Amino acid sequence: MSKPPVIFSIGWNACINCGACVAICPQEAGFISPFDTIAVDRPCDIACLLCEQICPVDTIDHVVAPPPETALT
Amino acid sequence: MITHKYDIVVIGSGPAGATVSRFAARAGLSVLLVDKKQELGAPIQCSGAVSRHALEEVGLPLAEEYILEPIYGFAIYDQAGKAKKIDYRRLKGEVYGPGPDRKPLGYVVDRRRFDRYCMMLAERAGVETWLKTEGLGYTPAADGSCTVQLRRYNQLLEVRCRVVVGADGLMSQVGKWAGLQTHIKITELAGCLQFIVDRVETDGLLEIITGHEWAPGGYAWVFPKGNGYAEIGLGVISTMTEHSAQWHLDKFMRQSFFKDRFAAARILEVQGGGVPLAAPLRTQYADNLILVGDAARHVNPITGGGIHTALSGGKIAADFLVKHLQGAEREDCSAGALAGYQSAWLAALGDKMWKLYHAKTAVFHQEDIPTRDAYLFKTMSDYFDPNSEYKKI
Ligand SMILES: Cc1cc2nc3c(=O)[nH]c(=O)nc-3n(C[C@H](O)[C@H](O)[C@H](O)COP(=O)(O)OP(=O)(O)OC[C@H]3O[C@@H](n4cnc5c(N)ncnc54)[C@H](O)[C@@H]3O)c2cc1C
Ligand code: SF4
Ligand code: SF4
Repeated sequence: MSKPPVIFSIGWNACINCGACVAICPQEAGFISPFDTIAVDRPCDIACLLCEQICPVDTIDHVVAPPPETALT
Repeated sequence: MITHKYDIVVIGSGPAGATVSRFAARAGLSVLLVDKKQELGAPIQCSGAVSRHALEEVGLPLAEEYILEPIYGFAIYDQAGKAKKIDYRRLKGEVYGPGPDRKPLGYVVDRRRFDRYCMMLAERAGVETWLKTEGLGYTPAADGSCTVQLRRYNQLLEVRCRVVVGADGLMSQVGKWAGLQTHIKITELAGCLQFIVDRVETDGLLEIITGHEWAPGGYAWVFPKGNGYAEIGLGVISTMTEHSAQWHLDKFMRQSFFKDRFAAARILEVQGGGVPLAAPLRTQYADNLILVGDAARHVNPITGGGIHTALSGGKIAADFLVKHLQGAEREDCSAGALAGYQSAWLAALGDKMWKLYHAKTAVFHQEDIPTRDAYLFKTMSDYFDPNSEYKKI
């Protein structure tokens, strides 16, 4: 079974804007935040968590993304 | 709407992008160089060690503006602190040293000032440079040119060019635009952290500390940083440890054989980044597009150094583009027509980098930690040896 999508939160106070998380990330082009980190405004459906593993200051965390709202019919 | 037309558009003004731009403009091509930053080189993600040869090879004046401190050699330590010193002031005192007729082997540079200086030289060679301008994508067109989508101070715009140069560094997205395989393995990207510190003595040498105990998968370093400061840093491979680079740096400073030397250290700056200890990309070109510098993983897989390779790779890319875009086949900028760039790069630099990659892989394939440590110490010592075949990388 594939992993559920996750959404990241970054502890900005510790982040040194080093871009290592982006460098390791296999997502498509543009999955980045304005602070040279992986995107935090949308879920990641790959959820390999390599970004968390590489972070030199260990400041990336995630929660399982809430399922997309299903339209009421 | 297309607002501007150039021969080439370069994404990213690090050492690679600024060098491609400078040589291309000097030979008569029209060049746009864009960088998304407001201040190049910041926040610093680099230790700034570079050989004098690397600067001279691409015609960079040795300017006070960016030089922090001259370097005269290396000291390689094993895990217990036994050192092999390669000090050119002793080995070849008639050539290397601080005196008037002597020269340094290399320098530690301030990347903020260095990157600005490289861009300034490009600008003076005729390059148009735009800061606060982010590359968003590109589209090859039917007539053989391509359009590049940019965002400049919040404004979306499109420019036309013949070739896009992706010099956008380790976080490169340009290769992804073209669907190139740019992914680095987690076992080959070192997570690094470094402190600029006061009250730690240095002696004109780049000090490299090996050993799994201090930096699993990578190494630790102590570099002179000018003004009496030093830099202490390390890089680790995350699959070889449970802990972050920060944890390892803390341990290195408190527990290693240097703990007394570091006892009074005061941290002045915190920096970090990722260093690919990887092979160069197998394909560094696509339709209307080439990659150079960290974006193409042109990084020395033994040392993690990438300034020299970014500079000389930048010149190789410019030489190729000038020849191609001023030649008979200039209308053809398809992938096939740009493949010659990679061949030129392999012949000049790449084949040696592949050799270094295999040497590095041989070290980290050793399962037994003491054997691996001994092997790494030897590989590093041989690499920096005055008779090393890799001296000029
Ligand atoms: C901790 C650390 C220490 C290091 N120490 C050394 C050392 O001592 N010696 C050495 O030789 N090497 C060192 N390196 C490696 C070296 O920093 C790099 O190899 C070198 O900076 C690569 O240069 P570049 O021009 O390819 O890319 P970069 O210098 O990364 O420049 C890329 C530029 O592209 C810009 N950019 C990125 N995306 C976009 C976009 N979409 N649009 C517009 N602009 C964009 C960025 O803002 C940046 O200015 C170190 C690296 C790290 C992380
Ligand atoms: S989980 Fe993997 S794919 Fe998703 S952002 Fe992190 S590194 Fe990228
Ligand atoms: S790897 Fe960590 S410190 Fe570096 S930019 Fe990403 S979140 Fe920030």
